[in-house]
Amino acid sequence: MIDPLFQTDNYQLARKLLDASVLRQDAIATNVANAETPGFRRLDIAPDFAVQLRSRMAAGDFAKSAGSLRPQLAEDQTARSVRPDGNTVEIERELLAMDRNIVEHQYLSDIVSSSLKQLKMAITGRAS
Amino acid sequence: MNPIGAVNPLSASALSRIDAPLPKIGHGMLGPQTTAPADGFGQMLDGLVATVDAKQDASRAMTRKVLMGDTDQLHQSVIAMQEAGVAFSLMVEVRNKLVESYQELMRMQV
Amino acid sequence: MNLITGIDITAGALNAQKTRLDIVAQNIANAHTTRSPNGGPYQRQIVSFETQLMRHGLSGGPSLQSVKVGTITADRTPGQQVYNPQHPDATADGMVAMPNVNLSYEMVDLITASRAYEANLAIVKNARQMAMKTLEIGK
Repeated sequence: MIDPLFQTDNYQLARKLLDASVLRQDAIATNVANAETPGFRRLDIAPDFAVQLRSRMAAGDFAKSAGSLRPQLAEDQTARSVRPDGNTVEIERELLAMDRNIVEHQYLSDIVSSSLKQLKMAITGRAS
Repeated sequence: MNPIGAVNPLSASALSRIDAPLPKIGHGMLGPQTTAPADGFGQMLDGLVATVDAKQDASRAMTRKVLMGDTDQLHQSVIAMQEAGVAFSLMVEVRNKLVESYQELMRMQV
Repeated sequence: MNLITGIDITAGALNAQKTRLDIVAQNIANAHTTRSPNGGPYQRQIVSFETQLMRHGLSGGPSLQSVKVGTITADRTPGQQVYNPQHPDATADGMVAMPNVNLSYEMVDLITASRAYEANLAIVKNARQMAMKTLEIGK
């Protein structure tokens, strides 16, 4: 009886994207730490995570099918090297990506948070 | 752990006897999970306790992983704890309402 | 408990950059030191970084690595010889061996290391903000 409460599509989607957002923070930290490592290629979330998410959303029954989907890190194939040693990290771009990631993370946290708060309010009849 | 057990007269089987008007409500609340509205209430309570247990277990496992340093996915532990809390709180409210309605019934003059 | 995302990686980088900054500052301070404890002029120190494996990649993904200081070696290229017979360290023919520190190189290194240090600091700050925000879910 309780599981349907937590199966709304937006809530589940927000949870999955939150996983990806936290993982992306790891990737950005690694990229900046290795900004001068020769031959290092920058990491990001593997693009097929978004593709899979979209296809499972379109297929319906997202809550069950998306349980096993986990975001993965992969080398960013679209990044071009700006240095002779093959390193593809640009610090400014990483910092911008991090800013964007922070906002995304806060937004997703808010979605999850307000869903939970609404449930609590509905159950206890009290506003907090 | 079965907090509903604290209310002995309301064991699930006893409730199924006062079930006649309830199947409609029981069916609506259970949604896709119910198959037999006739014992809706008893089944619902069992299902409720089982789900709360499962959520608490998941939350415990996730929190243990964070505490032991196996993972840095803090948000999964926080969300699992919140979900377990919501589930538990739902169960407590159901229990409260049951107790209230039982007391209401007992107060009725026959 | 590893609660702030990526903090072990950033900590490694911060340590490495800090050491590099220290060495650059030491080089600049000793740019004119003609007498060092083991005789001869000061020799420029070079920091080399090594990658340090922090976490294995989950299920075949790339592993997360940080940097650490590998070695701090002395640069053996000889410095300039300057003609200055008045100098207390002048040799018999009036030449003084100066340290092989090139101030322009050191300044560029200083700026690069500072930028990298500040970038890593910004990352830690934001990761902490993320963790604090996570703790407020549902409250």
